[in-house]
Amino acid sequence: MKKTRVIIIDDERTARDEVKRLLENYGDFEVIGEARNADEAKTLIELLQPDLLFLDIQMPEKSGFDLLESLDKVPLVIFITAFDQYAVKAFEVSAIDYLMKPVREERFAKAVEQIKIRATNVTAESQIFVKDQHQYHFISWSKVYLIESLDNYARLYFDDKKVFIKSSLNQLEKKLEKGVFFRINRAQIINLHFIDKISIAPEGRMNILLKTGAVFKVSERQSVKLKNMGRT
Amino acid sequence: MKKNKTISLYWKCQFIGWSLASLYWSYLGFSGGRFNIFIGLLQFFSDVFVYVSITHLYRNFATKHQWQQLNLSQLLKRIIPAIFVMGLAYLMVTIVKSYVFRFWLLAGNVTSFSVFFALNWAAILMAGIRLMAIWLLAYHLYHYAQREINSAKENARLAIIAKDAQLNNLSAQLNPHLLFNSLNNIKALVIENPRSARRAIDLLSELLRTALYDGEVLLTTIKDEIALVKDYFELEKLRFEERLQFCIDADDCFDNELILCFSVQTLAENAIKHGVAKQKNGGLISVSIAVVHNFISISVQNPGEFNCITQTDGLGLNNLKERLQLQYKGKAKLNIINEGDGHVLSTLVMPRS
Repeated sequence: MKKTRVIIIDDERTARDEVKRLLENYGDFEVIGEARNADEAKTLIELLQPDLLFLDIQMPEKSGFDLLESLDKVPLVIFITAFDQYAVKAFEVSAIDYLMKPVREERFAKAVEQIKIRATNVTAESQIFVKDQHQYHFISWSKVYLIESLDNYARLYFDDKKVFIKSSLNQLEKKLEKGVFFRINRAQIINLHFIDKISIAPEGRMNILLKTGAVFKVSERQSVKLKNMGRT
Repeated sequence: MKKNKTISLYWKCQFIGWSLASLYWSYLGFSGGRFNIFIGLLQFFSDVFVYVSITHLYRNFATKHQWQQLNLSQLLKRIIPAIFVMGLAYLMVTIVKSYVFRFWLLAGNVTSFSVFFALNWAAILMAGIRLMAIWLLAYHLYHYAQREINSAKENARLAIIAKDAQLNNLSAQLNPHLLFNSLNNIKALVIENPRSARRAIDLLSELLRTALYDGEVLLTTIKDEIALVKDYFELEKLRFEERLQFCIDADDCFDNELILCFSVQTLAENAIKHGVAKQKNGGLISVSIAVVHNFISISVQNPGEFNCITQTDGLGLNNLKERLQLQYKGKAKLNIINEGDGHVLSTLVMPRS
């Protein structure tokens, strides 16, 4: 069975050792790296593509949140912090789990169980971490149905929410999975899995009806591309 | 706003009070027969005007000499002669006014002023003293009561601040974040370095003991405060390892000088929390304590940057400021500046006790 590959990120060596020691009881986890701060962690994550992070929130210069925001593809995350739970709640993150230092073994076991369930059921669903005003979100790309351009920002629509991220549509288009996301015009990208109906307007341009009920106009050039995509 | 309100209350009392008195005199005149409505009105308005004026002059005099700030016995020493002076003033204006009215209105039937004066002065003076006594006592007692109420309120507020500062002691002086990080650290040390783990437990116990049981002690000796700060640094060094360097510089001839308990510790904790902990490679914290003339100066330097706009003072610093205010009543100063070379300097100056 494939092991869950873990990176531990904490500025205190003893705190990292503690997590390693707790993980020793679980044979299906493998620690593939350790980082002392957000910058080290970013390099390591991009290089090793881990499945899971144990992440401290307070670290020098950049916090654990800053690190996640800077990643294009965010692995599963378990936060570990010395903050009490109320202080953590203030961050309004919908993370998989929080562990309070010092971590009790029973509590750690529960968190690990959760990870095992997630890791087997969900086939490496890629997600991002976004700060929207006061709230942080983990967003799976599979839930995003529309991306709109707003100057240097992009607005992501998912569920019944929308958030801004600091990235141009061109930058995003390069990163996104080709068969899933499609640039329909200069200002919009849609998730093809959300298409309900495609109709062709008299001049050959396409209109797309999404499952959400909204209709989008596809530019002439992109209409041709979309047609060709269907054929291949 | 508040001032307007008192002024308006004052003027209300002035006009209503003197109007009532004048109405009473009018009634006496009316019931005495020979009442002339024109004279009655003239008497009424002139009475109100004249007596409001002289008492208002008195009020200006008393305000100018800040009689409202005096204590009760000092105030009485001034009020009693003032009542007589005001009684005489009352006599003067009243007798002149009455004579002028008679002279004008009852032409032909007028006695000389000296005879009029001799006949009436005693009764008018007595009435004046009575009225002025009422006026002055009412005025000063009102202000005295107001002042008492305000000072009672102020005392209650200070007592609440003192209580709050005490209650906040434990969480302000040993923040929970430090406590849990240390416990986590000790948990790791138990396996990899039992000696250090044992040492850490000793240090943490000492810090806890001081915070829990010495919470009500306001002052401590420089020697004890330094010992506390050394324990604190040693404990944190077990956690931050090579990232934390510290040095403490204090002349031991000032060991027994008294300073505010937990004052250096709060600055040291801030230096770690906002300084060393935020630097990837950590840095050096220098603490120095010096006695200059009648002041004790404590300075703590750490790497980092103090952002006075976005960085709101934490619980620790706020608590320190409140306790400084309670203990030294504005004579202690806390200053935090960026030195420009990536260092922050916190300086605390307090008077020698």
